[in-house]
Amino acid sequence: MQEVLNINGISKSYGPIKALQNVSFQVPQGAVFGLLGPNGSGKTTLLSIILDILKADSGSFAWFGHPGSPATRKQIGSLLETPNFYHYLSATDNLKITQAISGRGDAASIDTALKIVKLYERKNSKFSTYSLGMKQRLAIGAALLGNPDVLLFDEPTNGLDPVGIAEIRELIRELAVQGKTIIMASHLLDEVEKVCTHVAIMKRGNLLTAGPVDEVLANEDIVELGSQDLGVLENILQQYHGITQIKTTDHQSLQAFFPVGTASMEAINQHCFEQGVVLNQLTLKKKSLETKFFELTND
Amino acid sequence: MNLLALVKIEWLKIKKYPAFWWMFGIVALTYPGTNMMFYYGYSEGTKGKEVASNVAKMLLGNPFAFPETWHTVAFLSSVFIMIPAILVIMLVTNEYNYKTHRQNIIDGWSRGQFVTSKLFDVVIISAVSTVLYAVVAFSFGAWADYDNIGRWAEQLQYIPLFFLQTFAQLSIAFLLGFLIKKAFIALGIFFFYNLILENIAVAYAKIKLDDIGKFLPFEISDRIIPSPAFMSRFGKDMKAAYEKALDAIPMHIALTLLLTAAIWAFCYWKHKRRDL
Repeated sequence: MQEVLNINGISKSYGPIKALQNVSFQVPQGAVFGLLGPNGSGKTTLLSIILDILKADSGSFAWFGHPGSPATRKQIGSLLETPNFYHYLSATDNLKITQAISGRGDAASIDTALKIVKLYERKNSKFSTYSLGMKQRLAIGAALLGNPDVLLFDEPTNGLDPVGIAEIRELIRELAVQGKTIIMASHLLDEVEKVCTHVAIMKRGNLLTAGPVDEVLANEDIVELGSQDLGVLENILQQYHGITQIKTTDHQSLQAFFPVGTASMEAINQHCFEQGVVLNQLTLKKKSLETKFFELTND
Repeated sequence: MNLLALVKIEWLKIKKYPAFWWMFGIVALTYPGTNMMFYYGYSEGTKGKEVASNVAKMLLGNPFAFPETWHTVAFLSSVFIMIPAILVIMLVTNEYNYKTHRQNIIDGWSRGQFVTSKLFDVVIISAVSTVLYAVVAFSFGAWADYDNIGRWAEQLQYIPLFFLQTFAQLSIAFLLGFLIKKAFIALGIFFFYNLILENIAVAYAKIKLDDIGKFLPFEISDRIIPSPAFMSRFGKDMKAAYEKALDAIPMHIALTLLLTAAIWAFCYWKHKRRDL
């Protein structure tokens, strides 16, 4: 698969603070790529560098196989950090400027973009009169202008209400179905897990892991089991071959961890039954992104 | 992207910016207003039949008749550089305030194109000020002494000189906004330096330091439009000073061009390298 973005060994310091340390990863075409990390992990710094807002100390990046340039940026609809618009201009006038600079779309596409983000009715109101959520939606509308194939969203649901968040999530899904490549930085794990095909997790300027969501998450099988007497169940599970760890989650069930792809529900069930324990719960669980995230980012 | 496209985009930003029209309005009132005040003073002092009035008339000539009007009105109007300077500083600091200096790059401008777009802002504002000056100067020439209208095409060099001076001084205003990023601090420094500090320094240098103040940033371009010609009619010393000032114009044009080119070269250099 062709790569839309290739980041190669990017480092950036602010005085003694190392904001990014030798970060490298690729974004394949058609991916919905989630860039995750706690506040201050370097997500926005990295996105700023690939949009030529900040200069990297070292390393390089390429969009569509070419070094970053005004021509490559014109092909990418981007929302970086905050909605940046002329306060005294209306939504339409602001998008006219976006359109004139980027060359994306035409006069009709401004209305189309405003309809998608539900600002069409307020298109002639000044930006300064918009609520936080409306400003954010206008920024998303500007990114969508002219229907670009690559979109970059930095915290796209900032300032949105729950309905707005759900709408943007749905919009990102629709865009992904259309084959768009979407790069999205977020600290809302739930949001990323629902829409992303790939993730990269960062912490204090370091890239901890990157790849397809399934690969990043599925390095273990987690089996949740329950029975009348959890103490007895735990004893007999310790005799079972292949379990790496057993955890008590609550008073009703246990979690048994297996190397990825090795947990067999039938075999576990049979083992327990043969040892005289009848299970009242047996499920293979995927690890949630949140669990993985905390695992990786906790000290 | 061609240069015309950059100008069109800047015009999209400016044309609905209320401060631009305020500036336009204030300049459109200030230039004729100030000159009118001086003209009124002149005509009050010279209208009588008594000897003093006639002497005054002989001394001053009519500074608002063609062709002197081009020079007089340029000199009197150029004092109000702070009005368009406010607009220039607002236009650049707005970009930082709204973070649109970032968004313009994100959307596909190069950093160089951003500085060029601001250069056009300063050119546009200088051109608008120059047009207003030229209209006012022409109107005074036609009105103050219609008999001289045949001489309208003399001393037209003051039009490009007015433009150059305005552009040069607004470029300094731009530099302050560009580097300081905060409108009120940049404006404060501009006013304090332009109105107070440099004037004191120039006056002091004239007395004590062999007039070295002529190389200060605003004074360099102030001297491309010297005091009006009637100032030369108050004695030998004044005449000599006036002629010296006229002789120094070419050097000051060269210095102004050099300083202004250096300011813009620095802005391009800086913007291409810095984090936005």
